[in-house]
Amino acid sequence: MSQFLEYIKMAFANIRANKGRSFLTMLGIIIGISSVIMVISLGNGAKNVITESMAGIGAGQIAMYSSDDTGSYQITSDDIDAIREQVDGIKGVLAQDSASGSMKTSKGEFTVSGIGTMPDVQYFDKTGIERGRYFNEREYLSGQPVAVISEEDAIRLFGSTNVVGMDLDITFYDSTITFTIIGVQKPQDSSMMSFVYEDSPVQVTFPITVFEQIYGTQVDSFYMVYMLAEEDADTYRITSEVSNLMERRHQCKGEDIYQFENFSDYMSIVNTVVNMVTVFVSLVAAISLVVGGIGVMNIMLVSVTERTREIGIRKALGAKTGSILVQFLSESAIITLIGGLIGIVCGIGGAYLISGIVGIVNPSLNFAPAISIPAIVTASLFSCGIGIFFGIYPAKKAAKMSPIEALRRM
Amino acid sequence: MDALVDVRDMKKIYNPGENEVHALDGVSLQITRGEFVAIIGQSGSGKSTLMNMLGCLDVPTSGEYYLDGRDVSGLGDDELSTIRNEEIGFIFQGFNLIPNLTALENVELPLIYRKVPAAKRHELAVESLKKVGLENRMDHKPAEMSGGQQQRVAIARALAAKPPVILADEPTGNLDSKSSIEIMRILKELHEDGRTVILITHDNGIAESAKRIIRIMDGKIEADYINQNVQEYGGAKKA
Repeated sequence: MSQFLEYIKMAFANIRANKGRSFLTMLGIIIGISSVIMVISLGNGAKNVITESMAGIGAGQIAMYSSDDTGSYQITSDDIDAIREQVDGIKGVLAQDSASGSMKTSKGEFTVSGIGTMPDVQYFDKTGIERGRYFNEREYLSGQPVAVISEEDAIRLFGSTNVVGMDLDITFYDSTITFTIIGVQKPQDSSMMSFVYEDSPVQVTFPITVFEQIYGTQVDSFYMVYMLAEEDADTYRITSEVSNLMERRHQCKGEDIYQFENFSDYMSIVNTVVNMVTVFVSLVAAISLVVGGIGVMNIMLVSVTERTREIGIRKALGAKTGSILVQFLSESAIITLIGGLIGIVCGIGGAYLISGIVGIVNPSLNFAPAISIPAIVTASLFSCGIGIFFGIYPAKKAAKMSPIEALRRM
Repeated sequence: MDALVDVRDMKKIYNPGENEVHALDGVSLQITRGEFVAIIGQSGSGKSTLMNMLGCLDVPTSGEYYLDGRDVSGLGDDELSTIRNEEIGFIFQGFNLIPNLTALENVELPLIYRKVPAAKRHELAVESLKKVGLENRMDHKPAEMSGGQQQRVAIARALAAKPPVILADEPTGNLDSKSSIEIMRILKELHEDGRTVILITHDNGIAESAKRIIRIMDGKIEADYINQNVQEYGGAKKA
């Protein structure tokens, strides 16, 4: 062991004696490792942002839909009540229906996307209400035309966010209903997920029972309902309990009419995609590592040729094949390890730099890179491994030299 | 009388088959512990080949070589490395110091390969450098020293591991006469300290300072005699 340290010391001494060349040799490794670290950090950072903003919107959400298109297995309001009462761990259930309409204010004429829904919508809205409130059970049951709009839309419609209590005259299919605004939603946290265009319809949320005034009949059956699980509830248990309940209520046991989509399924798909992109780009970056390794091998070969005499002297003085081999191998391993460490620092720096530039160019895409410790450890080991792998050939060449041959050469 | 170096009918043939070169053609010689021997010959006489054989840098084509009682003629590379490290101190014409290393580090080198612990190594190296009068040049690199000083570092390196045989190959070949005198004086001192010194040279004047002279020609020993008239090298010039 102490002998091994001696060879490492020799290797260090030689790297120090050839600083400029050692650095140039490292450059390939530095570029390779830093680009891998950079890609992984940025990829993880982006993944975190996507995950967070999607989780903010939909974590715990389960969608249930009827896969029967004859209409006889639709989900009814009674089903919704039954789910709410009989399945544990559900925070809210809702169904919704929408209609397009139009309205006029002093700011102009707008198209409206009217969304009729249920009081539980307040639980589904993760960003929350800026002013006022969502409609309550009583307003829902009595079909009161009360509306919640977004802050952006409030500004478009009235030039102000202080609009609670104001009226909206919205025309749906020739019948005009006067809604009273009771709430203004906060703007979404992440602008990655919300896009408001100049002429996109104004979104108005109101009790679904209001549709009775428009259609003349109650909207009572749905193809799809959304459930929101309590934070610590097991969405898979809820899914199977709801499935059983629905199959019992509609006498269709085992027919798989009611299908479920869990939000975490979407999340894992998104994560898989981001991971695949990250891995792919990392692999591309890793090619430069291989190129760097070949650079190390070339320089080490040159170094062996240049130091033939030194090798001869060492052998004459009693160095064994193994000693020379270890000395040259440690040299290339140390060069790539140092290169790797510099690369890690540059990679982290580069990741912050790029995310900073992205943040300046497009503030809505602002995100922090996520530095992954396993990636750093792997990169260090990998760079060291490259040094050893690409160092083997030159080191063997050096170790095999015959001392007289080596000494004879000037 | 036990011979430290015992060579029997040693042959070395380069390019076996076509264009055979018999660099050594049946050389036998014995050198006893404590002798000061000069091996003298013109270039091409086979003296360098003999030096490589005696120094265990190469193996003979045939014949036997007992070094310190051990047959070394059939050993492999790594075993030869060990023998060189433990038995032989080399002094080369071209000094053969490692340029990146200081004088002290150069002297420590054979001790590293002998696995001597660092503290002991340092002690031996310093002691050895003192013997050649370079205790105040220990941290100098070879390029910062004169040829004579470099050769003294090389001698210190050869002495550090206290090998039984000192093998000096044209040690003054690259030196001016003043440095040459100094180097020869040190070699003589080593001999007087009881070490076995084998000096390989083409220079009669140098050879005259040894007690025994072996003259080699065409791969054979031409003469092997006791030098009745040992001359201090450079003594004549002084007079």
